[in-house]
Amino acid sequence: MKTFVAGFACGTLALILAVLAFLKMGLAPIRADAPPSPWTSHFLYSAVHGAVRHRAPAQQNPLPADDNLLIAGGKLYLNDCVGCHGEPGQPSSEFGATFYPPAPQLPRTAPQYTEAEIFWIAKHGIRRTGMYAQGRSYSDQDLWRLAAFIRQMTRLTPRVLEAIQQRPSQPGISK
Amino acid sequence: MKKFLFGLAMPFVVFPLALLAYFGLGMSETRSDVKPPAWETLLIESAVRAAVRRSAKELSAQAPANQEAIIAGGKLYLAGCAGCHGEPGKPGGDLAQYPPPPQLPHTGCPYSEPEIAWIIKHGIRLTGMSAYGPFYKENELWALAAFVHKINALSPAEIQAIQPKKP
Repeated sequence: MKTFVAGFACGTLALILAVLAFLKMGLAPIRADAPPSPWTSHFLYSAVHGAVRHRAPAQQNPLPADDNLLIAGGKLYLNDCVGCHGEPGQPSSEFGATFYPPAPQLPRTAPQYTEAEIFWIAKHGIRRTGMYAQGRSYSDQDLWRLAAFIRQMTRLTPRVLEAIQQRPSQPGISK
Repeated sequence: MKKFLFGLAMPFVVFPLALLAYFGLGMSETRSDVKPPAWETLLIESAVRAAVRRSAKELSAQAPANQEAIIAGGKLYLAGCAGCHGEPGKPGGDLAQYPPPPQLPHTGCPYSEPEIAWIIKHGIRLTGMSAYGPFYKENELWALAAFVHKINALSPAEIQAIQPKKP
């Protein structure tokens, strides 16, 4: 037993030194412009998925679920999220693809999270990705609007789609 | 001796499996609105620095950038980078990203010009730094690199010169 423990201790030390040497010699792959291997992707996404499910509090959207909610959320989404996550009815975001891991293209991805989980991700962000926390720039109410919209994004009615595209009219100002 | 070797090999199996289980079971912390611990910053920053130094060797140094290129780089910086990395002459931003983007006008940039050009072009994975290779021409990358290299030592005249012209 004693010999085993001694071996285990030496092995642990060797492992730590090997990892440090790997990092310090600059051998870690750091380029963001090579897509993650399918294995890495699967690992990263399932780790995040598991963690979000584990930690996000189960809550109900406090706002009444109707088209107005989706339209309000959609307008926020078009303002701030489309740059990376893509716009409904448009080709994928080229900019979102240059991150590692790439930003999920929400208009063409079936929703993976509940509204409460989307709210929580938007509010707190996801570390080690480009997804920063939006809690400082949005009220909780706006985050719930966003969450409702993102959850429904792949099955929006034409009425909602049309309504979110309309910019508020600004009489006298021409672009 | 056999037992010792068995013990020696075990950590190479146990720790990777433990790591996989930790992440796979959703035990990891994902929120980006907290600051990384100091040890993590230290470890990862030095790993990134070493990797950049190794990778950027493929780019040869250019002729020293003239003033014109630095100003052109500054204009590109204000348009494309300042949102996360901060604007010269202004207080640092407060973006809740993890790891937080370095506020370059305050911290300066510890990399050489070819290294900066490499980072802009290829990005840094597992950070918010995406790869800008598809969006900038080669000479724009080098102008940006020249500007970022001296970003914490700009003269007031230079800061003035990079501001967008008022219509």
